[in-house]
Amino acid sequence: MKIEKFIEEVKQKYPESDIEVINQKRLMIKIPRGLLLKVTDYIFNVRELRYIIVSAMDSQDGYEIIYHYSDDASGWIINLNVLLPHNLPEVESITPVVYGAEWIEREIMDLLGITFLNHPKPERFLMAESWPEGEYPFRRKENKE
Amino acid sequence: MGKKTIIPIGPYHPLLEEPEFFKLYCDGETVVDMVWETGYNHRGIEKICESKTFEQVFYVVERICGICSTSHPFAYANAVESIPGIEIPLRAKYIRTLIGELERIHSHLLWVGLAGHFLGYNTVFMWAWKYREPVLDMFEMITGNRNSYAMFTIGGVRRDIDSERAGKLFKVLDEAEKKINLLIGAVMDDPVIHARLKGVGTLTAKDIHDFGAVGPTARASGVDIDVRRDDPYAAYDLVNWKVITAQAGDVFAKAEVRLLEMLESIKIIRQCLDFLQKNPEGEIKAKVREIPAGIGIGHAEAPRGEVFHFVKSDGGNSPIRHKIRAPSYTCIPTFRRSCIGGTISDAAIATAAVDPCYCCTERMSQAYDFRTGKKLYNAADLIRLSQQKTEEIKKQLHKR
Repeated sequence: MKIEKFIEEVKQKYPESDIEVINQKRLMIKIPRGLLLKVTDYIFNVRELRYIIVSAMDSQDGYEIIYHYSDDASGWIINLNVLLPHNLPEVESITPVVYGAEWIEREIMDLLGITFLNHPKPERFLMAESWPEGEYPFRRKENKE
Repeated sequence: MGKKTIIPIGPYHPLLEEPEFFKLYCDGETVVDMVWETGYNHRGIEKICESKTFEQVFYVVERICGICSTSHPFAYANAVESIPGIEIPLRAKYIRTLIGELERIHSHLLWVGLAGHFLGYNTVFMWAWKYREPVLDMFEMITGNRNSYAMFTIGGVRRDIDSERAGKLFKVLDEAEKKINLLIGAVMDDPVIHARLKGVGTLTAKDIHDFGAVGPTARASGVDIDVRRDDPYAAYDLVNWKVITAQAGDVFAKAEVRLLEMLESIKIIRQCLDFLQKNPEGEIKAKVREIPAGIGIGHAEAPRGEVFHFVKSDGGNSPIRHKIRAPSYTCIPTFRRSCIGGTISDAAIATAAVDPCYCCTERMSQAYDFRTGKKLYNAADLIRLSQQKTEEIKKQLHKR
């Protein structure tokens, strides 16, 4: 995959996306959350990039969810970045498209309290059954109020 | 000093001691469903890393896994060094590569031994673990430790390998290679192992893509991926080697990939030692002032597949977010495709075939009847069943 061609194609297909090369062979594509399933389908099924993992963090502007994919033919890592506001931590689950994302979405649910809509099995993953509802260890204190 | 007492310790079975809880649901002999329960051993390492300095994080991530204790520092170093764009000295690159490959050999030998035990081949188990010893001796010569080597630091490595030591390492490597060749021959030529492992726990290339499985698990299904070649780091683009793949996708193919990979690793180690011996002088660490604000993404090929680290820095002296993905996290869910539909006596070896590393999950296999929910077998029973099947195959082969 030629990366310039890929960037061109993403820009053309999804003009709302914001594309940036963050490092050597690392690409960050910021997309509005409504586009997530479409772009995921394009990257995973059409482009056949390898799914790596999903990172999530609590930042000042909101909850950042980063979906990492790898293009093994060129060595580029493609990152999809979705920003969720603190007052509405909801996003579509990508598990129906990417089968392997089931565990990590449940983990993020546990640790950061993000709701993944249409997740096939939205059960606790890491935290014990006795862990109190509404307590999320990865949320930052200053953002809790 | 009077008499010396020798205390024999081991061999232990780490695959059975680590906490992982599987429920296999069975209909007669066939596995029809599989459920995991995890989180029994979650240590919160990602959170701990946020409270450590960039330098200290090396020693935290090294303790994620005792078997592949260099692959996490490797991926973390790739991630952190990519933020300021540090180019590490050539000598450090070769030393890093050498440590990474030695680790691959000892990890694969450990797996071969355990797989042998699961099949009822305890000779293979004893051999593999015995031949792993010289590799651990090499680690001790280089780093002072048999495990958790503490070799990595930002910008390079912490200990040098001088020419004299490189010479000694060559000798130990030659010895180890002979024994590893012997072991490979014994496993690959055994008709019972062929009969027992071929067609068991098969994964297709589509399964690999669906789950994002990596490493020998993917390469055994004909998916030609290897971070060392695809996104080269350290000295992997400076040495001669090739990626091993197989097409069948069954347990035998996975064993084949791992066994042949050890020979490639020996080839790489020899080239690294050769470089270190011929170029005895050189820096082993680049000077690093600070890690600026930014995102670092690094990955490295561990014995079990790609280890992935995501580090976010705000310009301070510790990461504000550190995400770690170990290869087993995407390989273990493939059990749903490799075990379901298979027989219960194949479950032990099919689950062991991805070389699962249960750092943060509980391991305990139990088989349940899918209609009544009644418990049928535990982990020890499953291994016994697996061993019995091998015995039956042996008898049948002898009859012919």
